[in-house]
Amino acid sequence: MLYLSQAIGRPVRDQAGEPIGTVADLLVAIGDRYPPVTGIVVKTNGRQIFLQWSSVASLDASGAVLGTTAIDISKFQQRPNEIRLKQDLMDRQIVDIDGRKVVRVNDLRLDEVEGALHLVAVDVGPSGLLRRLGLESSWRTIARGLHRDVPERYIDWEDVDPVERTIASVKLRVPHKGLAELHPADLATIIDQLSRSDRVGVITSLDDEVAADAIGEMEPETQADILEDLEPERAADILEEMDPDEAADLVADLSEETREEILGLMEKDEAEEVQELMTYAEDTAGGIMTTEYVAVPATLTAAETIDKLRVLEPTAETIYYVYVTDDANRLVGVLSLRDLIVAKPDTCISTFMLEEPVVVQTDASQEDVTEVVARYNLLAVPVVDPEGHLEGIVTVDDAMDTLLPQPSWRRLPHIFGRGGSER
Amino acid sequence: MRSPVLSLTPRAVNRVRLAAILGVLGPGLVSGFADNDAGGISTYSVAGVKYGYDLLWVLLASQIVLFFTQEVGARLGLATGQGLAGLVRERYGVRWATFMISTMLVANVGSIIAEFAGCSAALEIFGWPTWASALLAATVVMLLLTRGNYSKVQYLFVAVGIGVSLAYFVSAVLAHPDWGRAANSLVVPHLASSPAYWAAVVATVGTTITPWGQAFIQSYVADKRLGPEDLVGERLDVGLGALLTNLIAGFIVVACAATLFSTGRTDVTDVPTIAKALEPLAGTAATYLFAVGLLAASFLGLGVVPLTSAYATCEAFGWETGVDWRWREAPAFYGLLTFFVVVAALFVLVVPPGSLVQVMVTAQVVNCLLLPFVLVFVMRLSMDRQLMGPLTSGRFLLIVGWLGTALLIVLSLTLVATSVFGL
Repeated sequence: MLYLSQAIGRPVRDQAGEPIGTVADLLVAIGDRYPPVTGIVVKTNGRQIFLQWSSVASLDASGAVLGTTAIDISKFQQRPNEIRLKQDLMDRQIVDIDGRKVVRVNDLRLDEVEGALHLVAVDVGPSGLLRRLGLESSWRTIARGLHRDVPERYIDWEDVDPVERTIASVKLRVPHKGLAELHPADLATIIDQLSRSDRVGVITSLDDEVAADAIGEMEPETQADILEDLEPERAADILEEMDPDEAADLVADLSEETREEILGLMEKDEAEEVQELMTYAEDTAGGIMTTEYVAVPATLTAAETIDKLRVLEPTAETIYYVYVTDDANRLVGVLSLRDLIVAKPDTCISTFMLEEPVVVQTDASQEDVTEVVARYNLLAVPVVDPEGHLEGIVTVDDAMDTLLPQPSWRRLPHIFGRGGSER
Repeated sequence: MRSPVLSLTPRAVNRVRLAAILGVLGPGLVSGFADNDAGGISTYSVAGVKYGYDLLWVLLASQIVLFFTQEVGARLGLATGQGLAGLVRERYGVRWATFMISTMLVANVGSIIAEFAGCSAALEIFGWPTWASALLAATVVMLLLTRGNYSKVQYLFVAVGIGVSLAYFVSAVLAHPDWGRAANSLVVPHLASSPAYWAAVVATVGTTITPWGQAFIQSYVADKRLGPEDLVGERLDVGLGALLTNLIAGFIVVACAATLFSTGRTDVTDVPTIAKALEPLAGTAATYLFAVGLLAASFLGLGVVPLTSAYATCEAFGWETGVDWRWREAPAFYGLLTFFVVVAALFVLVVPPGSLVQVMVTAQVVNCLLLPFVLVFVMRLSMDRQLMGPLTSGRFLLIVGWLGTALLIVLSLTLVATSVFGL
């Protein structure tokens, strides 16, 4: 076991034991589970030379000894998949995927695995900090006297995600595999702790769908900031993955220029949907509704309706109700998923649908919507215009948002909180 | 379906525009205003009482230096999206970061003590014993900071602060000051060889340009996620902040000079005496007006300095930062906050009665003496092309910045020389 801080600055000797310089940095090849050390950067006579790991006989806290006589003193070169441990990782911020937070690297732990030295863990604990300050041994003596432990904390390299700027010195695309597997809410919390360029880097590396879910969990101001920073094509792709009502709220917060550019790059249907939703005031039924719902003509049978659901693959949010409309898209009835399943397959849905369902007008206030949803115990309520055309639905989660108290940190200036920036 | 409507609600558009302006016009003004905290008001008052108009040139000079140091700080935040402490850690390693943080914490604890002294001095007017005012200040601060409603309450303090600033302006005019002499002192430096005079110069500079101010502006800019495109707006913001700070400071000095210095009452600098500067406006109520203003200024500073200190420390060491974490999640952050408040409260308790104003002024001297250590890091970072990209300091800004830093070092050394060696 070797800590990077123990090796840096130590002498490098040739086979005969003559010092030729000091250890300046170590190189590892990213990609494997535990990146192997591939080279050593030696500082000699004020310049840095790069030595292949194969020419190093040993490396420990006392320094490095070279195993070859012929030393290639070609100037330092770094391959695309390699990072420099001291320059690119030491003291930098990383994401602790397991702990779901951003931490700072105090030291790096290297271990012998199958005869080769590998980067195995990141030291983020107090003991690493003390070691770097040169206080570890004296502190340990004091702690022993007081019968206390010096707290240690390591993160296995597998659970580490180096954020983008960390390795800005190399043009390496970090896959952020670990991050993509987190729950969107956790991912949003982590992204919110990152600096602006890191945030864009992480979002860029994610799938459209994962990115959309994560952005959906953020504060409105943060969402807008991120979308403004992304490539417009990418922002458009991500918006298409979001629920139209969410996307509409988000697009409304963008600057005029960005908004027009992004809407122009979105699929025509999706862009039109978003634009239509944006015409409604934010705190009305129209403003909180989504246009993702299932509507079928009254002439279908139960079996045909279920087949149609299979084809449409509605999202979990909207599957519980199937709305029945006439040729002019006027709402004539509603079916619950339960009604559909218990009905005989060949019965026409018009015979068992609930006629004249509870509706709200597009300009109904958010409070009214909440009240209707609560009074009738609905999972979603249809939204209609004055002529009775079905415009969208408000699902129970969006309706209940008004009831939740705003967490106190949302009112804080961002400098002292992780909420949205205070704008 | 309806045809898509392309026009947008005017509300949404307006909000974005307003946000874009307010989003940039912020950090510099907030930082500038917080400069006129308890230490600021008392230092400017004492300067006016003891030396009349003689120190006005220091105000002009420190305003210029303040603009350039805040501009560099803001630019670092814009270019890197990181706070000062984190940046120092990444660029210069953990030892230099620890050194800078320690330096800054000493200065900041001094400032926090000054704010507590301000509270006690103000409440003394209303007959409160020191222990009661220290207890009140500690409780109010901890509640405000950790319960998360500081951002609202701070507007009250800012409003009171603006009110008192206006009161000084009116008082200064009503007292018929020697405007010609004031104008002359503003541009012609008055040099004297007494250590007390240099201490007053150093305190005046130290309350205007502060270590915490550097950390604050950079973190604020970074956490607002402002970027390189906001450079112009941010410079305007910083310029306005610096101008406002020193305009207020100037009127405090002029009011004190015209009412107290001119009548020869230059030896007594307790609160009831320096409050007399407001007599031309407030008459016999001057003392109470001053006390209320001092109390508001103290709380304004107490809302910013402890948080900035804890924030910078946690940022450098990678600990959870921000009041939206729970105590259990961010023990270091809350531990530091508690530590600052307890130390400051205890310090005020042991101060001999009647020397609270002296404590406030001395804290500003300490601030100035430690300032160069922080500024050297700021200046060096701003030269780093790899870090700053297109926002790297140009030749002009570098010369001005280093000149300002050098002046501060000379000033500090002069004070040390005059007071220690009696030169």
